[in-house]
Amino acid sequence: MTSLPASSRSKRRTSPAWLSSPLASQIKAPLVCIGLTLALWQFLAQFNSEGFPGPINVISQTWDPYIIHPFFDDGGTSKGLGLQLLISLQRVAVGYSLAAMVGIGAGLAIGLNRFLRRGFDPLIQVLRTVPPLAWLPISLLLFQQADTAAIFVIFITAIWPIIINTAVGINEIPQDYTNVARVLRLRKRSYLRDIVMPATAPYVFTGLRIAIGLAWLAIVAAEMLKADGGIGFFIWDAYNAGGDSSTSQIILAIVVIGLVGLTLDRLVGAVGNLVAKGGN
Amino acid sequence: MTNAFLTVDNVTRSFSLPKGGEYVALKDIDLQIAEGEFISLIGHSGCGKSTLLNLMAGLDQANTGGILMDSRQVTDPGPDRMVVFQNYSLLPWQTVRQNIALAVNNVMREASDAEREERIEASIALVGLAQAAHKHPGELSGGMKQRVAIARALAIRPKLLLLDEPFGALDALTRGNLQQQLMQICQQAGVTTVMVTHSVDEALLLSDRVVCLTNGPAAGIGQIVKVNLPRPRQRLEVMEHPDYYKLRTELINFLQQQRRLKQHRQTISTSVATPAAAGVPPAATRKVRIGYLPGLDVAPLALGLERGFFRDRDIQVLPVVFHRWQQLEEQLRSGELDLAITSASAPLALNLGLQGQPAWPAITPMTVTRSGNAICLARRFAELQVGSLASLADHLKGRAARLRLAIGQQGSMQDLLLRHWLASGGIQPDQQVDLQVLSPLAMQAALVAGDIDGFIAGRYRVAKAVESGLATVLATDLDIWSNHPEKVLTCHEGWAARHEALLLDLCAGLIRAGQICEDGGQHDNLVRALSQPQWLGSDSAVALQRQFQLGNAADSGRRLPLNRYHSDRAHVANSAEGAWILTQFSRWGWSAFPSNRLELLGQVYRNDLCSSALERAGLPALRPERQPIPLACGRPFDQDDPIGYLEQLPFSAGTTQAVVPLASAEANRSFAVP
Repeated sequence: MTSLPASSRSKRRTSPAWLSSPLASQIKAPLVCIGLTLALWQFLAQFNSEGFPGPINVISQTWDPYIIHPFFDDGGTSKGLGLQLLISLQRVAVGYSLAAMVGIGAGLAIGLNRFLRRGFDPLIQVLRTVPPLAWLPISLLLFQQADTAAIFVIFITAIWPIIINTAVGINEIPQDYTNVARVLRLRKRSYLRDIVMPATAPYVFTGLRIAIGLAWLAIVAAEMLKADGGIGFFIWDAYNAGGDSSTSQIILAIVVIGLVGLTLDRLVGAVGNLVAKGGN
Repeated sequence: MTNAFLTVDNVTRSFSLPKGGEYVALKDIDLQIAEGEFISLIGHSGCGKSTLLNLMAGLDQANTGGILMDSRQVTDPGPDRMVVFQNYSLLPWQTVRQNIALAVNNVMREASDAEREERIEASIALVGLAQAAHKHPGELSGGMKQRVAIARALAIRPKLLLLDEPFGALDALTRGNLQQQLMQICQQAGVTTVMVTHSVDEALLLSDRVVCLTNGPAAGIGQIVKVNLPRPRQRLEVMEHPDYYKLRTELINFLQQQRRLKQHRQTISTSVATPAAAGVPPAATRKVRIGYLPGLDVAPLALGLERGFFRDRDIQVLPVVFHRWQQLEEQLRSGELDLAITSASAPLALNLGLQGQPAWPAITPMTVTRSGNAICLARRFAELQVGSLASLADHLKGRAARLRLAIGQQGSMQDLLLRHWLASGGIQPDQQVDLQVLSPLAMQAALVAGDIDGFIAGRYRVAKAVESGLATVLATDLDIWSNHPEKVLTCHEGWAARHEALLLDLCAGLIRAGQICEDGGQHDNLVRALSQPQWLGSDSAVALQRQFQLGNAADSGRRLPLNRYHSDRAHVANSAEGAWILTQFSRWGWSAFPSNRLELLGQVYRNDLCSSALERAGLPALRPERQPIPLACGRPFDQDDPIGYLEQLPFSAGTTQAVVPLASAEANRSFAVP
């Protein structure tokens, strides 16, 4: 019964086998849609008198050195995209790690202690809505140094979802598990290790995933305003240079930022899945 | 049971509702569990079975009362009371072995690693999961998860194993196998077990006793069924045991009766709610007509009226005097009386429609008096050396003439007590005795005229006959059933539902008056109140005065016990006492024993109203005891086994059971709603 409709379909459609392979069928739709979008862009760029590049121009204008030599270093601020990215990622790594450590710790404390939860909740609710760039002036005043200030902005932007999600995760530990802990009279350490941490891990990683997105968002903005290196700086620098290929450089940088952001998001998601694998 | 391992003592658990007010889940639960016993809790959903289990586990605390295990109060959860939760509660991020190890390592902290390891492996092997030990719960089937949960529970050797619907989510085949396994494991380990279940068959297969909970709110223990099937039990063998279906029917009956009772309460309350919703204002004058027969039993009514306990609450009480019980009942049935102080057996007799009457849905919200009866014989019997039950039986042996005794009403409490007393002495009341129904007021005259040889009546009448030198007391309540319910308040179920607030106020007044009646220092007031013409008459004052002294003085010969008006839980509307009354109706062949007795008793004995009335009177609520009722004849009455009781009674007409159609509240009386 099950093989019948399959065979009849293959008879009707005489497409090659590779086109119906799972990988191809997954790629097909995005390939077509993105291709159409690029074509439309290229088509519209023809009519632009200001010289706004189409996709082909973008690639040709940035091919050398930005695409094929991502790690060139001419000294000063003239560096390849790859090096600029590394600078940004370094800042994100420091700021985000600090946010994760402090955020999970604070989230645990707030989740486990009713007094702290009630006391800090209004503060957290207000501060989490503050846009990343609003922190920058204070941060500069505090640290005087552009690099540290950028790291602080990342930290302060990324920390809220981590705190909130960790605390919610603790609140949402199923009654069943706490009942087991109560009946067995688990010690505090064992309770944290065997019940609280595994049960809240999925929530913590949801927080971490939201946080990495925010951190990436914040670093580009912070670097555009005040920095001497990094992918945000690269965009701003290209804009200020105003050369023929400036627009193409900016567009290339935007694509790279997007791809890196996506990669970071997926990376944290994958780690989360790996850690919380036992859950459910 | 003094050697109880686990004692649930008078536990009430209520939850406050978000909208204010509170929901009473469990009320006055008393339960004693012996060591090694397997108990099942059964009842409809929402009746608080799991709440009770959580209380035993210590996961939840009772509002009043407490739970003792091994003579220590249960205040918090602990591994000596291990729970197998409804949805297994295995930690999904740990393997089977880790789940069990977590419990073992936490509980056996002093043991060596090798010992713990051994215990863990043994537990896994016990439930046959050695192959799955490395798997996570998510990879296991429901039955396997349940086995892990049981293994985890047993691994730490709890003293008490608590199972919350352990097999609820499993398919029939798995369930059957697991039940068998659980039974074997529990028996080997000898662990005391309490299991919540929905399944009657499961309860019967596994349990030593099945505790049936009544409907919530305020669920209580409705019945405890002993399962005396031989162990070890095998599923199929158990089902073939002759007692199995009897027990099964009993449990299913209980559940069905509870369901009907719930529906019945709902229909009553909706039918009452409708006129109010239609905007009919409540009657402005709260006028109540209460029927009574003069006697010491009406003292609370008399005193309550005199003290204005009813006027206080805007109730105008119109007492209506009768001289014959039959007339009183006729007027109650016809609706000319709202309420009556009747014999304690009257509400059930009215519901069953004894003596060819149509069934009438009577209820009783409270007991008015207890005890206060005596049996007396004409003086000439004393001259014949007949001074006790034994000598009376000897006297009657071989005589053709029947003993002529007067009772106030057939089927009344006095009739039942007299018959029970005679029968316990080997006298068959229907053959050797001629029981005549007489007005209590005419008994003394009949004794003088020689129409009767003796009578059973209240203390006042008997004492008068004794003082006039006409009779001698042969027995009192103490010789039959001390503290038996004598007079109760009786009314129509529908009337009670429509006038609940009024009824509660009235009961509260009677309760407050009863409190005073029992106070020895108030006897003068009591005499003054009772000697009013509408009660016992002015000529009773001197007699009453003397009688109260007679009752208290130790040396005045035979001491007549005083009526109980208040103390010793006097007011409780106790359905266990009703069950005894039902056995007597059946014993003397007046009606088949109702197989739906719990439904009937639940409908008639409204201790919920009694509790509310006590609350209105500012007194703590009373709860009926579940202990067997000790009767003087030496055969205690256990409300959970009325048929067994009936079987061992002398002169029992039979133990036929039948479903009694219950009188519906709306069928027999239409209400004149102004």
